[in-house]
Amino acid sequence: MSTQDKVKIRKLPTGVPGLDEIVGGGLPEFSFNIIAGAPGSGKTTLAHQFVFANASPEHPALYFTVLGESSIKMLRYQQQYTFFDPAKLPSCIRFINLSEVVLEKDLGSVLAEITREVEKANPSVVVVDSFRTMVRKPQDTPNVMDLQSFIQQLALFLASWQATTFLIGEYAEDELRDNPIFTVADGLFWLRQSVERNSIVRKLQIVKLRGQASVPGLHTFRITDAGLQAFSRTFGLTRHKRLSTGRRRLSFGIPELDAMLGGGIPEGDSVLIAGASGTGKSVLATQFIAEGTRQGEAGIVAVFEERPDAYAERADSLGLDLKTPQAEGKLVILYLRPLDLSVDETMHSILDAVQKIGAKRLVIDSLAGFEMALSPGFRADFRESLYRMIFALTGIGVTILSTVEVDESFTEFPFSTYSISFLTDDIIRLRYVSVEGQLRKIMVVIKTRGGNHSKDIREYKITSEGVLILGESLKDYQHLITGIPERISRLVQKEERPPKSRPKSKG
Amino acid sequence: MLPLETRNLARRLLVDEAAADKTSQSTESAVFRVYEKLHRSLCQLAGVAGFRSLASRALTLAKAEAPGLGAMQVNSDGFLHGTREFEPQIDKYHDEEAELILIAQLLGLLITFIGETLTLRLVQDTWPSAGLEDCRSGDRRKA
Repeated sequence: MSTQDKVKIRKLPTGVPGLDEIVGGGLPEFSFNIIAGAPGSGKTTLAHQFVFANASPEHPALYFTVLGESSIKMLRYQQQYTFFDPAKLPSCIRFINLSEVVLEKDLGSVLAEITREVEKANPSVVVVDSFRTMVRKPQDTPNVMDLQSFIQQLALFLASWQATTFLIGEYAEDELRDNPIFTVADGLFWLRQSVERNSIVRKLQIVKLRGQASVPGLHTFRITDAGLQAFSRTFGLTRHKRLSTGRRRLSFGIPELDAMLGGGIPEGDSVLIAGASGTGKSVLATQFIAEGTRQGEAGIVAVFEERPDAYAERADSLGLDLKTPQAEGKLVILYLRPLDLSVDETMHSILDAVQKIGAKRLVIDSLAGFEMALSPGFRADFRESLYRMIFALTGIGVTILSTVEVDESFTEFPFSTYSISFLTDDIIRLRYVSVEGQLRKIMVVIKTRGGNHSKDIREYKITSEGVLILGESLKDYQHLITGIPERISRLVQKEERPPKSRPKSKG
Repeated sequence: MLPLETRNLARRLLVDEAAADKTSQSTESAVFRVYEKLHRSLCQLAGVAGFRSLASRALTLAKAEAPGLGAMQVNSDGFLHGTREFEPQIDKYHDEEAELILIAQLLGLLITFIGETLTLRLVQDTWPSAGLEDCRSGDRRKA
């Protein structure tokens, strides 16, 4: 069947920021959906967001409340959300309480009552909140309709009446499997919340959605005064084509370093600067972003260990002007200390900023600070989420420079304690060395994507103008990366020096 | 003590129904008609049990202000004894102020729980011709 022969299913906005991307562009019109989850997981709020986003005088919504939360209390609390528009009540959204029918009659009567109201109002959206409570009432009359038949008939009826429907039900995790009720639904939204140490972790999963491809997996969501906000695992960038960035190289503003990198950092790369505390990782990162803004490329700096004004002040002391591009909207310094935010939410903040100003360069200073800013429960996802973000951002041509602190060792030469070097295209390693009674600094390019980089180990120092690379490569030393190098000429002298002659024993 | 705006809203509804009484030759009192309409509207929203709770609380509060309502009760369906079964008794005393207080207390409770905006929208939906657009307390303060 050709594309033009297929029925076109209209997609309705979910009203939940981020959720449209997850469900594949919106909720299929006339679909019959179930929102399941434990009490307090946000089911009712999700349904309300959908209702308020779609209800209009021409397309009214009916919201049936059954047992559980009273409508008066529900309205009292739900109107606190910013999406709640009282002007839509009751002309566009009508709340109908069915508790007496449920308590005093059977499910057949409930279905009859819903049918009567739907035929009267001709709604485009119908919500039954919560259908699960109906089955808890003991059905002592023989041949009464069971819940599965009720849902089957309700689904059939509402689809015929061209209504997009949400049924809300309290379900525990283990009830998902082999539950025949869920087979009837076109869409199944599962909301989870768990306590991890002192943080609440909320996640949603589109268990099924007929007719279109949703983003699989668990997506973090948050409930704020604006209602639910979902954070797609793909960061909303799946629809973007990966950019072919060509061979353009981005300068650090340090000609010697650019030369070491084979002409600068290839655009769209992920660069890691690894080094011990005080080796100048942040200075290099600042120079990278400042050079970008100097060349007219918008940039984002995500900082976790100091405030944006302090970061800009420190750049000032190096002769790097970050305040002007900040004022012009070409540079955003994000201070992220979310504490109980998920890694996905934090990354969405970065992505929003990147997309808002069309940033070409992004600095994450530092990965250790980033991880520490997350709630403990989310740290397990850190590497995976970081991978997804880097992949998504570099795919749209953003060049990412991350700093990472490594423990200085005089026996090893680690690139990162995070084992994240696989996430990076280019690695620049900074380290201390003990040379001639002084603690000096050296830098080496470990790898670049193109492979065409200098293998030289260069000494540098941090001056009032930033990183200054000194002289030629330290060819006169070996074992530099151990941190305790030896001058080659001395080694040669050692080898050439004749062994001390032992005094000949007398006799 | 109820805000003046709530009492005025109750008064507007009673006046509207009283005017309707004259044109329709209805034998029911205005307070009965207002209460009945609220009963119907709020039972759909909150269920009979939900409405009955609100009405009982409103009657208790109203009795404190208007002892003339002492004999009234809310039955299990949410109807008011004294408006239906004891209609003559109401007519006999015809305590207009007590009627006003009862309706105002019911509206006041609704405003407390769901706010003035939603309450007015529900009331406007029930009395579309009553012209209640200027009944918001904020509107009055501005005027």
